Formats: sequence, C-alpha cells, structure tokens
Amino acid sequence: MSQRPSYAVGTGLFIVLGFAALGYLATQTTSVANSSRGPSYTVQAHFANIGQLKERAPVKVAGVRIGQVQSIMLDPSRETADVKLAIDQRYNQIPNDSVATIFTSGLLGDQYVGIQYGNSKKTVADGDTLALTRPAQQLEEMLGRFFGAGGAADNLSGSYLVKARFTNVGALSAGAPVKMAGVAIGSVQSVKADPVKLDAEVTLSIDKRYDQIPDDSAAAVFTSGLIGTQFVAIQPGGSPDMLKNGDEMVLTQSALQIEDLIGKFLVSGSSSDKKSPDAGKPDAGSKH
Amino acid sequence: MSVPMSRDNIVLRSLSQIGDCGLFLLRILASVPRSLRHLRETVRQLWFVGAMSLIIIMVCGLFVGMVLGLQLYDVLSIFGGTSATGTVVAIAIYRELGPVVTALLFAGRAGTSVTAEIGLMRATDQIAAMEMMAVDPIAYVIVPRFLAGVIAMPLLCCVFCALGIFGGHLVGVSWLGIDNGTFWSNMTATVDLVKDVINGVLWKSVVFGTVVSLIAVFQGYTTPPTSEGVAYATTRTVVASSIAILALDFVLTAFLM
Repeated sequence: MSQRPSYAVGTGLFIVLGFAALGYLATQTTSVANSSRGPSYTVQAHFANIGQLKERAPVKVAGVRIGQVQSIMLDPSRETADVKLAIDQRYNQIPNDSVATIFTSGLLGDQYVGIQYGNSKKTVADGDTLALTRPAQQLEEMLGRFFGAGGAADNLSGSYLVKARFTNVGALSAGAPVKMAGVAIGSVQSVKADPVKLDAEVTLSIDKRYDQIPDDSAAAVFTSGLIGTQFVAIQPGGSPDMLKNGDEMVLTQSALQIEDLIGKFLVSGSSSDKKSPDAGKPDAGSKH
Repeated sequence: MSVPMSRDNIVLRSLSQIGDCGLFLLRILASVPRSLRHLRETVRQLWFVGAMSLIIIMVCGLFVGMVLGLQLYDVLSIFGGTSATGTVVAIAIYRELGPVVTALLFAGRAGTSVTAEIGLMRATDQIAAMEMMAVDPIAYVIVPRFLAGVIAMPLLCCVFCALGIFGGHLVGVSWLGIDNGTFWSNMTATVDLVKDVINGVLWKSVVFGTVVSLIAVFQGYTTPPTSEGVAYATTRTVVASSIAILALDFVLTAFLM
C-alpha cells in the first residue's frame, strides 16, 4: 500500500457516489421521508367507519402534518374501528375535546385524519382517547344526500309491481331507484324490449307503503346530475283511483338524451321526441 | 471447459450453454476466496466497469427521466392528474426502467469490453501462459471482473435512478410548471422503501449485474481463439444479456410483487 494507484481514488469516489444515490433514493423519495422523526405520543380515536384510511396515513391539524396513523384495529366488542394516532411530541397542546375526522385529500386522493381543536383547557396526553370523532364520508352517501334519498328504498313492507312503457329508457337499468318528490319509493325490477310494440317495458317495484299513487300519474326517466345514474320519477296525477299491482302507467316520458337536449337548445326542434319535450323541462329544473 | 461446437439441435446447444454457464458460475464462486489476494485487481476492474460507465449511465438516466416527465405530463393532463407526474416517474424508474435500462447499458458498455478483453487474452495465449506459471486464470482474471460487475451494477442503477428523478423534476417542475411541493409530496406519499427501492432498484440490479457479468466472462473465457471468435463472443454477450435481462425482469417482477 505504499503507492496508491490512480484508479483507486476514482473507484472510491464511484462507490461513495453510488451509495449516496441509494441513500438519496431511500430517504428523500420514499415514504420514509414522511415518517415522523423524534419522539411522539399515542392518542386513540374510535371511528364508526374509517373508509380507506391506511396505516401511516398522515394526521393533520389545519392541513399541517403533525403525525401519522400508527395502527388500525377493529374493536372486538363494538362495531367501531380503533385507530391509534402517533402525534409528534412538539404538538402536545391539543385540547382533549378536539374532533378527529377522516377526510379525503381531493376527490380521489388518500384519506387522512384531521383534528379540529376544541375549546377545553385540558390537553390530551399519551394514551388518551379523542372521544369526538366523525367517520369517513362515503362518496356514495354524500351524493345520495345531495341528490335526495340515495339508492333504492328498503323493501321491508313488501312491494307491488307497476308497468310503464317508454320509447327510450336511456341508460336505465334494473335496480335503479324509483322516486316521487325526490324520495326513493321503490326500484326498477326489469327493463325489457317489447318485440311487438317496439318500445321498452319497464317493471317498477314500488313499496307497499306508497299505495296512494293516482293511476293517471306520469313516469319519467331522469338523470341525477349531469353524469349521474338514471332513475324513474313519478309525477302524481289527479285521479281518484290508485295504482294497483299489475297496472300499467299510461303517461310516460322517455329519457332525454344529452345530445337531443343540446340539439334542441341549439336548433329548436331538430329531433323531436314523440312526447312533448316541454313537459319534462320545468320538472327537471325544479328537481335539481 | 469444453466449448460445445457440435452443430446438432439448437435447443440442445442452448441447454448445454446454460449448463456450462452454471458450472462456470460455481467455479467462479469457488475461486472467490482465492481471488481475495488480488483485491487490488478487483478495485481496478471496478474502476473500468463501474466508474468509467458513470457518464453514459448519468446521461441516459437524465434523459429517461426527462422524457418520462414529458410523456406522463401529457397523458396525465387529460385526466387533470399532472400532480401525479412525480409519483409515476419515480415508480416507473424504480421498478422497471432503472434496473433494466442500466443493465442493458451496462451489458453494452462494460460486458462487451470484458468479453473482448478475456477473449483476446485467450486468443493470444495469455490465459494458457498464466496456467503455465501456475496462476489460476479464474481467480486472477475472471473473478475480479465478475465481482466488479456484481458490485458496480447496483451502484450504477442507484445513480441512474437519482438522475432519472432529477430529469423528471427538471421537466415537470422547472419546465412544465408542476408545483415543487406537490411533486415531492405525492412522490413520498406513494413510493415505498421496501417495495420500490429495495425490491425494485436493489434486488433487480444485483441479479442483473450477476447475470450480465457471468455472461460476459463466460463468453470471453469460452471464445474460440480466433479474431472471428472474439467478434462472435462479443455479439453473443450483448444478445444473451439483453434476453436474459428482459426475461429475468418479468420473472423477478412476478416474484417480488
């Protein structure tokens, strides 16, 4: 080792550079960069529903990361998720009446635990439990709430079947809700094409509780929102006779195709439906 | 070691090549303790196959990262998801492009020169001369080159990946205007240390380095001692390495997933 070959230094530099690159990749570009450093304390929270929350998901206050989810377990005795949060020791001033909520970052992003401070003078300590929690908001539930009662009505008290014929059902499929005044009262049982009359025969299964629907009511295929699923809306008529099992609804309004609507809007009456196109518009407007 | 030159079945010939290659690997591994006396030779080979390949690896890594950033930004902007560019660049480079492209470049840059060097030693009877002087050519010539390749490949791959990330950052953030914080935070939120860096970058590159080095020294050592033979051996190194890298990449991915 008396004389050092010229390549030895270069080789050493190369090895150091390689390991430096590995260290950089491992610590700066992976989730290791997010893992909390330094001491932390553990707080528990019980959620009714954690949605897609995962271990090591961030815990945030005012959008700032203060820790991470340490573990998620189902409480064996109750139907709640037991979530342990590891919070950085620096943030030890969290009031013990703070609310832990599961949020979603963006529309499609990952979920995280957000803590909103309460007003209590006492702060949470290691091992404490945040009693006030809000579960993860399921997108389906929110949309359902937004567009009126979501999904099909429960079918506990039995149902009766009513037929309706449409010249065009759009994308209506079996299982779609049947709504009256925006509230689900049943579901579509089947959608079939009639080989003779060349139209669509839709069978509606309506809850027995709603047996006071006049038999001259109109059925229309609507779309919830711009890109939502389609449903059948029933607009009550004025007849003293009520719909019974096996009846057929005479007045129907077919699904409005967005192409038709745009066409009508641009050039009035470019492709007119069999039914009057004006009939649906005020209703559709008032519904949403 | 017999060189299988019989012109029978191509399947039998390839099988016997693979078998010879495996036996050769065992001979190399058996000679590793003896070659530790020639540690300086290993360092010198590490300089040749590793440090001298740095420039091409760095330039290629930079451009691969840049083109990934550009393409992904273009596609992701259709879905309004350009903030995921950093994540996808990192995952694509760590899991596939880093190890595979580095290994292909390594086979072309270092594997061929190792094959040609050993082949010429064989053609000019240097290897026979070593055997005459009771110097084990496996321990003195083959093992240092093999070890150098195995060590250099993961290091080169890490450099490639780092430059790739830098290239993606350069295009995505500096040129196309993705937010710097978004770029990094999305990346660190998704990229996993074990799944992406250790399984992707390290494991794959160690396996590829072993395979490319083995093919290079085997082809050089078993080359027919003619100038034509050396030319063939060099070509075969690149062809066999490329096939082995891409096939093993699939197998490794399936196992490491």
